[in-house]
Amino acid sequence: MATSTLKTDRPTYASDFIPSDVERAVFLGNPVLDNMMTSLIALGAEVWSNRRRMKVVEALLAEKGVTAEMIETYMPTAEQDAEWQKDRDRFIDLTYSPLLREGDLPVSAAFTHENK
Amino acid sequence: MLDRRTLFGTVAAVSSLLGAALTGRKAEAKTDIATKNLSPTGDINKRGSTGRFERIPDLDLENRYDFFTGFRNFQHRFNAPAKLRVEKILESKGLDPKAKLTMQEAMELIDDDLLVQASGRTWVSNQQLTWKTLSDYFHHHADEYLAEMEAADNDGPGTLELNPDLNIPKYIQHEIHAMPGGYVGNPFGGHVYHLGQNSFYASISRLGDNEQDQIQTRTVDRLPLPQDKNVRRILDMGCGFGRLTTALKERFPEAEVWGIDVGGPLIRYGHMRARDLGIDVNFAQRSAEETKFEDGYFDIVTSVILNHEMPTEANKAVIKEAHRLVRPGGYYYPIDFKTSGTQDHAYNQYRRWYDHRWNCEPWTPEFVAFDFEGEIEKAGFNINRETRAALPGFGARHAIKKA
Repeated sequence: MATSTLKTDRPTYASDFIPSDVERAVFLGNPVLDNMMTSLIALGAEVWSNRRRMKVVEALLAEKGVTAEMIETYMPTAEQDAEWQKDRDRFIDLTYSPLLREGDLPVSAAFTHENK
Repeated sequence: MLDRRTLFGTVAAVSSLLGAALTGRKAEAKTDIATKNLSPTGDINKRGSTGRFERIPDLDLENRYDFFTGFRNFQHRFNAPAKLRVEKILESKGLDPKAKLTMQEAMELIDDDLLVQASGRTWVSNQQLTWKTLSDYFHHHADEYLAEMEAADNDGPGTLELNPDLNIPKYIQHEIHAMPGGYVGNPFGGHVYHLGQNSFYASISRLGDNEQDQIQTRTVDRLPLPQDKNVRRILDMGCGFGRLTTALKERFPEAEVWGIDVGGPLIRYGHMRARDLGIDVNFAQRSAEETKFEDGYFDIVTSVILNHEMPTEANKAVIKEAHRLVRPGGYYYPIDFKTSGTQDHAYNQYRRWYDHRWNCEPWTPEFVAFDFEGEIEKAGFNINRETRAALPGFGARHAIKKA
């Protein structure tokens, strides 16, 4: 049994739950292969997210007269730099932390008395 | 959640159009409900609304969600080559490639085939990433979203009854759909499930992403009337975040409509959403096995995709409870999978297996093997087998209580 890890003084009305063991599933014979597949999908999400944001930005910039050269030569402030690094780390975490997962249950593993 | 200024301008128009286009519902009924909107306190609406759907609160979150939804569509393309591969495997073992097998038989034959397993792996990974991305966002902004729900808890229209002491059945405490915390353990279960459900619908339904609750609206419109046409009280069992519940009220504006679910965070979000839409429904954190309503209180008792989340004994108790609750001449209409038995094409069985085991649907195989209709009749209902399925592709169980 598990409990929400959210730290808050506010009421959440969340109850205990039985955690799934999906993190342990091995479909591809070797957990590393499984993890790489997950990473690949996550990477796709990040790449597409940026491309879609860029579409919004470019559309707005074009309306406001901001040129491509102005974008190329922009110098971030130290504050921006720090903030962007933080976001880069979140990106890396989402994309590559699945590589660290240690799955060990074959796909055909039935529910056991403990997890049902 | 929804901004009234946006809502006034768009909900009536969009939902009326949708109502007319998708369901044939009279536009004035929906407009009537939209004009009951109040000014909610503590409302968060960061990026405006599209009709009745509050846009995903962050552009990057929306972008990632958009990718996962697109990937979910793409993932279906694994099915054709994987199914062919399964048939070749069966053939190579001297079996009929189209043979109907049990889930276990199918898994033993194809357990180590990489192409087949890649179809399951991509589906499960995409599902996990979708949930993580959505759940993480609301947890990172926990205080504001909890405060928003707090502001709505005691506000109307409609009521919310939360019961932190409810004895939640163990069978529903699983992380169903591999959603973090499942139906009961994630403080933002309603927020997360709402968006995850839209992504799911976008990949399977011709009605699209269900942002305007098109599927529930159409489902409710397909429900029959009792023979005497009296609909004063309706119960939606296992209502989740109340999509069907609000659609029921919109079809039957004069009826007292209740939604019950054991998931506190789900009904809490559902109440907030109904309040924001100006829809007067009541939510209560109660079990479908023991609802605490009076005998014969309801004209209609319904549910959508509840029964396959329960073991057989719980389903029997729910059917018995439904029979107690429906007044003579009223009906029980549970909407869920067809109970089609235990044998199917090996690849279909593989897909059922990973949905059961790794999308954490512990009770689905038990449900599809269950004589659901037989049990409903045993409880004292007459099933009208002429009634069309309220949700196409699902079972039609229009169970009338004998007068």
